[in-house]
Amino acid sequence: MARRRFSDTLFLADGNICCVSCERTVAPATGSWKQAAALSVVPVASLPGAGLGIDSRIVLRRFACQGCGSLLETEVALPEDPFLEDRIAIAG
Amino acid sequence: MDPITFSIIRHRLFRVVEEAVMTLKHVSGSAITNEGHDLMVSLYRADGSLLMGGVGFLHHLTSAAEACKAIIRRFEGQIHEGDLFLLNDPYTAALHTSDIYLIAPIHYDGKLVAWSACFVHVFDIGAMNPGGFAPDAQDIFTEGFSSPGLKLIDRGEMRQDVWDTILNMVRGPEMVALDLRSMIACNNVAGERLGDLFRKYGTETVDEACRMLIEQSEQRLRERLRELPDGEWQSRQYLEVKGETYRVCLTMRKQGDELVFDFTGSSPQSKYSVNCSKWASLGGLFAPLFPLLCYDITWNEGVIRPIRMIAPEGTIVNCTRPAPVSVATVGAIQSVNNAACGTIGKMLAASEIYAEESTAVWHANHFAIFMFGTNQRGGLSIGILTETFAGAGGARHIGDGVDIGGEVPNPISRMANVETIEATFPIRYLFRRRLKDSGGPGRHRGGTGGEMMIVAHDAPDGGIDYVVSGKGTKFPQSDGLAGGYPGAVNDYVWVQAEDGTEPVFARDLAEAGGKKEPISWGVFPLRGRDGLYVRWNGGGGVGDPLDRPAEKVASDVATGAISARAAEEVYGAAFDGGALDVEKTDARRRDLKSRRLGEVA
Repeated sequence: MARRRFSDTLFLADGNICCVSCERTVAPATGSWKQAAALSVVPVASLPGAGLGIDSRIVLRRFACQGCGSLLETEVALPEDPFLEDRIAIAG
Repeated sequence: MDPITFSIIRHRLFRVVEEAVMTLKHVSGSAITNEGHDLMVSLYRADGSLLMGGVGFLHHLTSAAEACKAIIRRFEGQIHEGDLFLLNDPYTAALHTSDIYLIAPIHYDGKLVAWSACFVHVFDIGAMNPGGFAPDAQDIFTEGFSSPGLKLIDRGEMRQDVWDTILNMVRGPEMVALDLRSMIACNNVAGERLGDLFRKYGTETVDEACRMLIEQSEQRLRERLRELPDGEWQSRQYLEVKGETYRVCLTMRKQGDELVFDFTGSSPQSKYSVNCSKWASLGGLFAPLFPLLCYDITWNEGVIRPIRMIAPEGTIVNCTRPAPVSVATVGAIQSVNNAACGTIGKMLAASEIYAEESTAVWHANHFAIFMFGTNQRGGLSIGILTETFAGAGGARHIGDGVDIGGEVPNPISRMANVETIEATFPIRYLFRRRLKDSGGPGRHRGGTGGEMMIVAHDAPDGGIDYVVSGKGTKFPQSDGLAGGYPGAVNDYVWVQAEDGTEPVFARDLAEAGGKKEPISWGVFPLRGRDGLYVRWNGGGGVGDPLDRPAEKVASDVATGAISARAAEEVYGAAFDGGALDVEKTDARRRDLKSRRLGEVA
């Protein structure tokens, strides 16, 4: 199967979502790739430039490739909220 | 129709809008209009459908179309040449009561052939808080005068009773009158120039060109959508008011040549005025869609046809009357805009053809501080701190975001000079500049926001007061893309002078003495030796910060865009005696990447 873009950092090939940097398979395209990524969570309040009023609960989720450690995506979230999931139709 | 005639008419329509915008700015006396460009002018077909969207706040293009249609329904059989209508009810079509639409039918040869519409944020609307943003409002009834449609001018004659009634309900009626007159002039220019067009080319030709223009826009957007991958993309925005957290959740689905924006899962409507009506949400999602997907397509009804919105009733993105909505434009509407910008950016990034057009979220938090009180000349001043329009560019696939680089939903937004504001209000600026570490880190860094501090100066009453209806202090909203970090948040700090301390000559917030109280919602004083410090958010970053060229990181430190701490901890740069150490940087970056591999989600 031809290689197709999924995002700047991921591509689709042979039914899998793969890392652009190292071409390692991250996860099957049918599921949530984020579940298989390396996740590090950091409070936004701890980042440089955080404001005085920042909510102590809010975190930055950093999803990285398990193979090369490249950052694949980030999302701002409260801990109880699910991952944001994107999906590209395989056919077509 | 021959393509040259079609092209001339298309360009002429655009020029009509441009000239009308200039008229609006020249007649208006409000900084929010002629400095901040919180305005919009557009043309509509006889049935009220959008024909030519102009520049200014793009949220209004679809809402004003609905306003035209509401006027057509309400005044059926009573629409005459020379009429002018006013509409500002958010539950009919408007975004909030302060943004008044003045809508004029355009006749040629005795027949209704088109409409022009414009808005400005008027000086005051009679809400419980001066300036229109009413953080204390419990319902729409306390947010000022609100009309689902009235006739202000009848066959060229001002309805003086209506005019006087409106001006009797607002603060600073002479300034509101000037706002209204600027919009009347704007519509007059649009009507005259469009009349010239009809005279030159004839009704049939112009009407045919307008029909073709809308069809062309629809065809071109559908073609573009077919070129983009099918799929769905999600985004989530948080808002906070007085300890209550709200979510705007978006799943954007693209299939074939259609696009659906589904806000299912968003929070129930708020008791605070951050809600927005469904017309406002529709405008909020179109504001980024026009420039990001239709940058080379005429913004009209044809662009609207392939798009559908799902916004459950009773939620923060489709509230029910009489929920308060006066802060909507910087509340839920902006969150809808941010969410749509985020999902569109991800869809573009997934495209082989359009990846280079992708962007992180730009300036995501207006701070909408309205000052009010007696000015240095003894008169009443009410007005916004236009720095809220200064914005910050989101990073793009191809490069860094522009520092203090504007915003997506208003391509011509800008801030006033410090001197203009100091001449309008009894205040003095202590500083205004770029804000360090505000741009979202990334391979391409988000543009920085800014920071400023003001104090009272030459104030007959010892100072003035201000309304803060600012979200964006608790949660970052300028989301990053493809591993980029979000831009930093806003802050509003009331610096309260204490004995022996005075912020009068402070060069930064740390240097300002006194008690520093973060604020975000309500009415506060700026009196005596107190100060107000404001910082505004930066744009989101694109890509892994560890992939940013080390020389650019060093340059960012040197120019004050980022701190040495951010350079080391987020970008993985290492310095030796102040100079970039390339080998140590490589080693640190390898180490930081390896540390990411600890945990599986």
